[in-house]
Amino acid sequence: MKKQTLTQAMAWLHTWSGLLFGWPLFAIFLTGSLAVFDQEIDHWMQPEVQRQDVPVALAAEHAVAYLQRHHADAGAWNIALPSERDPGLRVTAGDRRRGISTDLDPRTGEPLKVREAAGGSFFFHFHYTLNLPRQIGIWVVGLVALVTLATLVSGIIIHKKLFKEFFTFRPNKGQRSWLDFHNASGVLLMPFHLMIVYTGLVIFGLIYLPAALHALYDGDFEAFYQEAIGEAPHHHGPSRAPLATLVALGPLLAQAEERMGPLSAVSISHPGRSDALVEVRRVLGNRIALSKGHNMVFDGVSGKLLAGPPELRPSVLTQRVMFGLHFAQFGGYPMRWLYFFCGLVGSAMIASGLVLFTVKRRRKYLVEGRAGDFGHRLIEGLNVAVIAGLTLACIGLFWINRVLPVELAQRAGWELRLFFALWALTLLHGWWRPHLQAWREQLGLAALLCLGLPLLSALTVDHPWDDRTRLLLEATSVICGALLAWTTWRIGRRAEQPAPRRHKASAALEVN
Amino acid sequence: MLSAFFGGLVLAYAGMVGLCQGLERHYKQVWQRLPAPVLRRGLRLAGWASLAASFAASVAAWGWAMGPVGWFGLISLAGFALVMLLPYAPRLSLLLVPAGAFAWGLAWLIA
Repeated sequence: MKKQTLTQAMAWLHTWSGLLFGWPLFAIFLTGSLAVFDQEIDHWMQPEVQRQDVPVALAAEHAVAYLQRHHADAGAWNIALPSERDPGLRVTAGDRRRGISTDLDPRTGEPLKVREAAGGSFFFHFHYTLNLPRQIGIWVVGLVALVTLATLVSGIIIHKKLFKEFFTFRPNKGQRSWLDFHNASGVLLMPFHLMIVYTGLVIFGLIYLPAALHALYDGDFEAFYQEAIGEAPHHHGPSRAPLATLVALGPLLAQAEERMGPLSAVSISHPGRSDALVEVRRVLGNRIALSKGHNMVFDGVSGKLLAGPPELRPSVLTQRVMFGLHFAQFGGYPMRWLYFFCGLVGSAMIASGLVLFTVKRRRKYLVEGRAGDFGHRLIEGLNVAVIAGLTLACIGLFWINRVLPVELAQRAGWELRLFFALWALTLLHGWWRPHLQAWREQLGLAALLCLGLPLLSALTVDHPWDDRTRLLLEATSVICGALLAWTTWRIGRRAEQPAPRRHKASAALEVN
Repeated sequence: MLSAFFGGLVLAYAGMVGLCQGLERHYKQVWQRLPAPVLRRGLRLAGWASLAASFAASVAAWGWAMGPVGWFGLISLAGFALVMLLPYAPRLSLLLVPAGAFAWGLAWLIA
């Protein structure tokens, strides 16, 4: 092989790693941006839950009364308290993730009939597993992140005029415009891109590089967390302790709220036994460091504080700040919006890179009569299905949530099956249709679905627009829809009149 | 906090406009003539000053730990918005600075 310059080698790396890993990366970025608002999407997808102003202590009292009536013999209870982001009150008997959950009306404590929904949590899980089996998914996403770091760095190296063209975007110039857009979105948001990919890798660092954990803790994650973070003690298995009355939660919640700020949930293990423990969790977000697992634990009979929120060692704090930077639970809603928009611009950056790959080759292939080549068509089709198709499937999931019958068995599972069916259809469609039409039709449909979301709510839900979270979500959807419609229109214009000849276009713009 | 956040956003955008207009190519893009060297240097200086003020506003909004994180997000997105808007509506993209400052001042007076 001929000796290459650094720039040539880096350009090769950037092109091919960008193409092959750009597809999963786009999916990771888009679903990650949506996952910034996971609880808000959860709330939107369960329109039966109303936002009500009920003191946390009262809601907790209702929850305990309900659990004592219906699940007195359960080994553990969990109460998800109403909060600013997710105003529902949900109780779970048994394991927090696998137990039987019931939604309650926080005012009365009566059970609510709430539809099963995939929710924003689906986007969150898809973001780090791509819906593969968890362990495999985490490894695949980690590999994508690692390659992405290399792609970002190589992208900086091959950018010839990073500072000179810092503010440059020249629309209507075909390939030039795609490159300008790719550069602007990449360079201006470089701090975000590097930070989000690096911290994303760090989150599962112990899974990717487990040697230390194997050497020091025999691979026992839980032992490590107990020792390193001082995670609060908790019970395993059923209790044989004698019966005892559960302490009143009100004073404990007040004490916890004073110490930790707004609360998110209460877990009670061995309720109604003398060895009961009450664990109070806070809403994450009063500092960057992710304070997950840093809870207060009380004796469930006497109400004595057994363990407070732990002080973090510097090493653990560093790790937790990295987690926190990625999860964006800090800084309130303004920060969430920043992460959301940065994520969307990042998705657009990846998409423009993928499109640029085909735009660059299209003209050459047309001249050589190879435009119908299998490889080129495959890449065009995959681009359509991954970029336009996933966008369509994501907004489609919101529609599926409102259209599927509420009482359907295994409803959340059906939502997801239809989501993936829709996505698979976009792949077929992207393969059969000429590529510009495929782009237009899929983006156009996605735009329509985004624009129509408030209307859909009005037609299918009782009090459609009186919840501020849902209203804001629908307004955001309309804005995204307008942007998608504009994009579709631009593609349409391009399809009707072939791009102006190069010298004419450059002459027109060189005036600037 | 919201007031400091929006103040930081307006300042970040103003800063990016200053840096951008301090470049010959983009000054010409809006005004169809070259900037005087003094003006160019002044615009750049004002741009950096505005970005620094935006940093201060971010720290006021979020504190010393989160402030810098939020500031990077603000200047990145403000810069990106400017780059997207500039070729389509050059005058408007500059007018957003006084408009934003006015809206922010108004909100501050009302609140």
